[in-house]
Amino acid sequence: MANPETGSPAAADVGLPLLRIRGLGARFGTVEAIKPLDLDVNDGEFLTILGPSGSGKTTLLRTIAGFQPPSAGRIEFDGKDIADLPINRRPFNTVFQDYALFPHMTVRENVGFGLRVRGTAKAQLNDRVDAALGIVGLEEFDARYPSQLSGGQQQRTALARAMICEPRLILLDEPLAALDAALRRQMQNFLKTLQRQSGITFLFVTHDQSEAITMSDRICVMRSGSIEQIGTPRELYYRPKSRFVAAFFGASNIVEPCRIHETRDDATIVETPVGQFRISGPPPDSSSGLALAIRPEALGPEDETRVNTLELEVVAVSFVGSETITELRHRRTSQVFTMKTRSDPAARPPDIGSILNIGFDPAECALVTEAAN
Amino acid sequence: MTAYARMVRPGLADCLLWGAAALFILIPLASFLIFGFFSVVSNSIDYRPTLANFDELLSNSSYRTTFFRTMRMAFLVSATNLVLGYATAYFIWQRPPAWRNLMVIALAIPLLMSYIIKIYAMRGVLGTNGLLNSATMALGIIDEPVSALLFNLTAVRITLSVVLLPFMVLPIYVALERIPASVLHAASDLGASEIQIFARVVLPLSLPGGIVGAMFTFVLASGDFLAPELVGGIEGFTYGRLIFSQFGLAFNWPLGAALSIVLMIVALGVIYAARRFGNPRWQR
Amino acid sequence: MRRLRLLDFSLASVTAFVYLSLYLPILLVFVLSFFSMRRGRVNWETFSLGWYAKLFKNEALGDALLNSLLVGIAAVLVAMVFATLAAINANSRPSSRSAQFLEYVIFLPFLLPPIITGLSLLIYFREAGIPRGLPTIIVGHAVFVLAIIYRILLTRLNALSRSLVDAAHDLGASNLQTFRYIILPNLRMPLLTSGILAFALSFDETMITLFLTGTDATLPVRLYAMIRVGFTPEINALIALILGFSIILTVALAYAWGRNSGSGGNLIAKTSK
Ligand SMILES: Nc1ncnc2c1ncn2[C@@H]1O[C@H](COP(=O)(O)OP(=O)(O)OP(=O)(O)O)[C@@H](O)[C@H]1O
Ligand SMILES: [Mg+2]
Repeated sequence: MANPETGSPAAADVGLPLLRIRGLGARFGTVEAIKPLDLDVNDGEFLTILGPSGSGKTTLLRTIAGFQPPSAGRIEFDGKDIADLPINRRPFNTVFQDYALFPHMTVRENVGFGLRVRGTAKAQLNDRVDAALGIVGLEEFDARYPSQLSGGQQQRTALARAMICEPRLILLDEPLAALDAALRRQMQNFLKTLQRQSGITFLFVTHDQSEAITMSDRICVMRSGSIEQIGTPRELYYRPKSRFVAAFFGASNIVEPCRIHETRDDATIVETPVGQFRISGPPPDSSSGLALAIRPEALGPEDETRVNTLELEVVAVSFVGSETITELRHRRTSQVFTMKTRSDPAARPPDIGSILNIGFDPAECALVTEAAN
Repeated sequence: MTAYARMVRPGLADCLLWGAAALFILIPLASFLIFGFFSVVSNSIDYRPTLANFDELLSNSSYRTTFFRTMRMAFLVSATNLVLGYATAYFIWQRPPAWRNLMVIALAIPLLMSYIIKIYAMRGVLGTNGLLNSATMALGIIDEPVSALLFNLTAVRITLSVVLLPFMVLPIYVALERIPASVLHAASDLGASEIQIFARVVLPLSLPGGIVGAMFTFVLASGDFLAPELVGGIEGFTYGRLIFSQFGLAFNWPLGAALSIVLMIVALGVIYAARRFGNPRWQR
Repeated sequence: MRRLRLLDFSLASVTAFVYLSLYLPILLVFVLSFFSMRRGRVNWETFSLGWYAKLFKNEALGDALLNSLLVGIAAVLVAMVFATLAAINANSRPSSRSAQFLEYVIFLPFLLPPIITGLSLLIYFREAGIPRGLPTIIVGHAVFVLAIIYRILLTRLNALSRSLVDAAHDLGASNLQTFRYIILPNLRMPLLTSGILAFALSFDETMITLFLTGTDATLPVRLYAMIRVGFTPEINALIALILGFSIILTVALAYAWGRNSGSGGNLIAKTSK
């Protein structure tokens, strides 16, 4: 089970991952939807595949599930190669984006389908369906047809159906995409709790970074068919390796070009067009297209923690409720920065055109490269 | 390729389906096309290819006359039915839902009724002792029964019109019913008058149905030989009958096939035109 | 306003005319099956069921009716098997050229004038040395009704979510189980609907049949022969019976259609309440 403090999966040190993917690729004709990639999914973890539309998330999931033949590579489950295993023999199940509930079957029949096709005895089947319906809180709805359910109920039916055969791994392709915001948050909590209590490994696809951050033990960021970075939500949030990941997690202030001036034990000093800064941690392995990524909320008035400083001119100020967003400009280079601060009811907003002394914490910025690998 | 696609083994499916299609649709059609290039010599078929049938077709003016007369008749049937059918479909569409369903079912009943019987029934209406004569006589419109109603091309036209009417009304009605109510509301919300709504929204959206109906009507009317045979008499000789007779008394199958090739080309042309114009760009 | 009312009136008149022209002839035949006519008028005093009695003694017609039923059922079954395979094939491979062309081929016999379908099969069977008879009629009818069944099944399949089959496989179902538990239940109503419709078409089919018939005639072919020879009043009785049958068939079809239309899920929901 995951450790919520560090976000690192406890099972990681057990050794053998539950799902081991090596050099897996997939193509549609000449389009290489997935370039050969490696991925380990540990037993009991909640691993999210995150990426923009068209980055190959669905294709990766479908290839693992067996709906899509791989063009290269191997998939091992529990140490055994499953490449040649037909879909209906694979020891894991899928929750589809559109749920794919069978319209002509009741909730009970839908949930029990996996057992029925395995020839499970009627009494046992009913007991297990009851148990599964209990877990997702749909006991009352067992006689309904999918069309008579709300979106959230359909979602939970699909979940119960995927869980009925007690798979060790469940694949979920944007299962919350069709739900409205409130229901979505509720289902996020439900899914997360369910995953922890059941101990089933979840491989979850989304393109929503906040959803990924709140739910996952680890996140795997995909970009045009390759894995950009894998890590805990914290690592990706505070230590993005590439501009792409930084931007995806909202670190929108990119300063470039960067040159490494000096490398110390615990920090790196970099030279940029807007000044010399100190960054916590060692520099990245590669230095191609090196840039400095700073989160908008890391910027603030210069103080004892925000030791990296620069003078910036106020261009625009917008009040967005709990936060205030300030557009700033570096006079000499015209580089624009965005600063996000807590709104202060007492303070007067700065005048447009005024010069502020802005600083940021060496721990709240990251050195990123063009691409992660 | 999805799992579903792999459920059907493409090679096997193609073999099976195309095999059956070839055996019962394609090869028969091909053999009929080839037959048009054979000839009959002393009551048996001569399998040496020749263009004689087509030569005959072009040079014999009675074939040409029959052809054009039949096409003209089929066109008139289509045009008449387009007008009648559109008005009827529109009227049905304007009724409350319960009425609509009833009226549509009432249209479908004669559609599913034996073709022969409908033609036979028309004979009862058009004949000298028929309903039309009796009624007009009873009303004092005419004194003597009119015999001109039966056994001529007009009788064929009227009969085909009546028999094929459901083929026109139904597609138009389906097209009208597909127009979302919100589109009509939007149009009137934007200030369009009833006539404007009809001309600018309803008509363009439902005309494809009319084109499909006209296609069905034309293709069926142009190739029909039953109605002409039963109500047309000698005067109502049509192209369909001409073809059919080659397979009966005349026993000239190759000529019949050649005549049918012309009919098929016309039919395919009409079908193609209907696909093009009855399937506007915003629907493709 | 006035102009509109006038328009409404003309539309109503045209509609009335259309329905009248569809029903009056049939009604006349119906009346004449019980009464006889004298000097262009129905003689209402001559009610008799005599023509019906005579009809039931007509063995040739009885045989023809049996032939029609046999041909209809056989043709529909054959067409259903082929149409189901073709529809699943087309639905599972939406971008396949082969499936697209097959669709055109399936539609040909339905769209071309029946005379062409009829004579092409006639020539084909003759050249293949197959004698005309009920089997050739069955083939002709199956080929003719194929398009209708195929279209209706494919429409239903296309309305289903593609991932249903994936889901079934994912949950461990074999191909056969997927077909049996997922595809077939969803095709049940469309199969029924299209089956009735196809049977009705086959039951009435005359033009193709005339080319393919041997010594065993179907009902419409028998009727055609009778009508051509001359006016036999017992035809009226027969027609009245067939009319009744058509009405039953249409109503059944309308009912099946009503249950079948709309999205599958909603419908199942509606009917299960
Ligand atoms: N059936 C297909 N045929 C051809 N190309 C495809 C097909 N499915 C996906 N692709 C291509 O493969 C790439 C990856 O698609 P995929 O569906 O995996 O993206 P995704 O990350 O799931 O996107 P989204 O967030 O929009 O669901 C895309 O460039 C897409 O255009
Ligand atoms: Mg996707």
